[in-house]
Amino acid sequence: MTVTPAVVEEEAPTKKGLSFKFPPEETEMGIIAGIIGAVIVIFTGLPAVIKGVGLILVLLWGMDSVRKTSKYGLGTGVPSIGVLSTGYGVVGALMGLAVAEYGRVGQLYPAVLLGVIVMGVIGLVSGAIANSEKFIAMKIPRLERGMMELGMAGTLAILLECSIVTGSLNFNAVVNQVMNTGIIALMFIFNCFAMLHPYNACLGADERRERTRMCGVEISGLVCVLLGFVQLALGTSPLWDSVSLIVFGAIIFAVFFWKFIKACMDECYETVGTGMIKTIE
Amino acid sequence: MEPVILLIVGYVVIGGLLACFAAHLLPVGGAPAAMGTATGIATGTVQIMLGAAMTGLFTAASVDTFTDSLLLVTLSGAVGATVMICVVMFMANIIYGFGAGIVPVSGRVDVDPITKEPQAPYKTPQCDGHGVPIVVFVSGSLGGFIGGFGGALMYYTLLNYANFSAGTAAIGAISIFVANAILAAYNIRGTIEGFHDPKFKRLPYALVASFAVSLLCGIVVSLTAILGGTL
Repeated sequence: MTVTPAVVEEEAPTKKGLSFKFPPEETEMGIIAGIIGAVIVIFTGLPAVIKGVGLILVLLWGMDSVRKTSKYGLGTGVPSIGVLSTGYGVVGALMGLAVAEYGRVGQLYPAVLLGVIVMGVIGLVSGAIANSEKFIAMKIPRLERGMMELGMAGTLAILLECSIVTGSLNFNAVVNQVMNTGIIALMFIFNCFAMLHPYNACLGADERRERTRMCGVEISGLVCVLLGFVQLALGTSPLWDSVSLIVFGAIIFAVFFWKFIKACMDECYETVGTGMIKTIE
Repeated sequence: MEPVILLIVGYVVIGGLLACFAAHLLPVGGAPAAMGTATGIATGTVQIMLGAAMTGLFTAASVDTFTDSLLLVTLSGAVGATVMICVVMFMANIIYGFGAGIVPVSGRVDVDPITKEPQAPYKTPQCDGHGVPIVVFVSGSLGGFIGGFGGALMYYTLLNYANFSAGTAAIGAISIFVANAILAAYNIRGTIEGFHDPKFKRLPYALVASFAVSLLCGIVVSLTAILGGTL
């Protein structure tokens, strides 16, 4: 069989499609999302829209960590990394909620951040063990940091969702309104998909971080809409709070869905043929 | 108060180790199995294990409503998970056999260790086996049983020793289960057929990692129970 020669790679086009460059770098993203998310988690009296902004930032950070961790081809599938992040997040959120009452000042719950820190430590330990030569020996650069950020982002996201739905971070209130009603199962899946879907859908040779992140923001907007409906169904907060969250989420979803599709359309012309795969003789 | 904490941590560690062990027994096919070019079910380790364990939790939670026996609850969880994984493997075989027209055959051994049937002549060249042959089916059923047992053990511990509510206990058990399954998935790296697979020899490494993570998770859960006022 004749083998078509690989097409010579053309010069990279100077102008990329639509860009979404906030914040530009992975480390900056982690710091900004972590700090803003932590502050919004502590102040539980804020309106749901502001918590929604924090949730979008934190989910974006989680998506970035999923991308960072699974970029090297783990052989486990990208979805499992998102599920791992949410699994760590639930354990960390339980820990944070249990200590929430200590050091509480009115509507402020600074102690919940203990859960985030503990989950960061567990993520670091599991990443170190997975990467260590003596144990699993994954030998993936920066796996420790990726796993740590996954644990922290997952915990912050679950705490923020609990805070949006119940309006406080009281252990008994969360257990009654989130755990016992089964809303936690919805949150588990929302979180998983907001973190795993963007990279799972966009990965490939031509993956670009900005485009993947547009998909991430779009799904976070959908999560906000769904959480608004959960708020309405449980009746835990005033009507304007839920409705504003739904409207905010819908606008975010519409804008970023349009941007994402536009970016895909703009960039698809760049796809180059690489020729047929060589057959083994 | 002390013995209860030890019991919680101990059972969570045992459950985590069982989850990690069970993940190595499952027929994980991954993306190649979706094309029929590898043995097993066409998805990743964590997804298969999570599906089986969650079904196990449903049966365990149902049984838990009318009994206090640890053995009965954990065994019902194990049976639920086994039924789930068996149905999935059986349906996979039907689709591969009648849909894709390939025979279930193991890619890692030349002769089936249980039935002594030859495998190599039926394997398509350059493929890594197809479907779910008998030895893989047996291994997968065992994996479902052990994994469901581990998941239900964690659920029972969190529900009755840490005194969490049913919803909290279920989601906590699933979360710790996932953390252990992912370590197993890291260790497996792609596809595995079961106890006859050469990759199964790497199991001790994953068990050490799983022990460390389960111990930390057990301590976190005990702290949650103490500080949250349920213990």
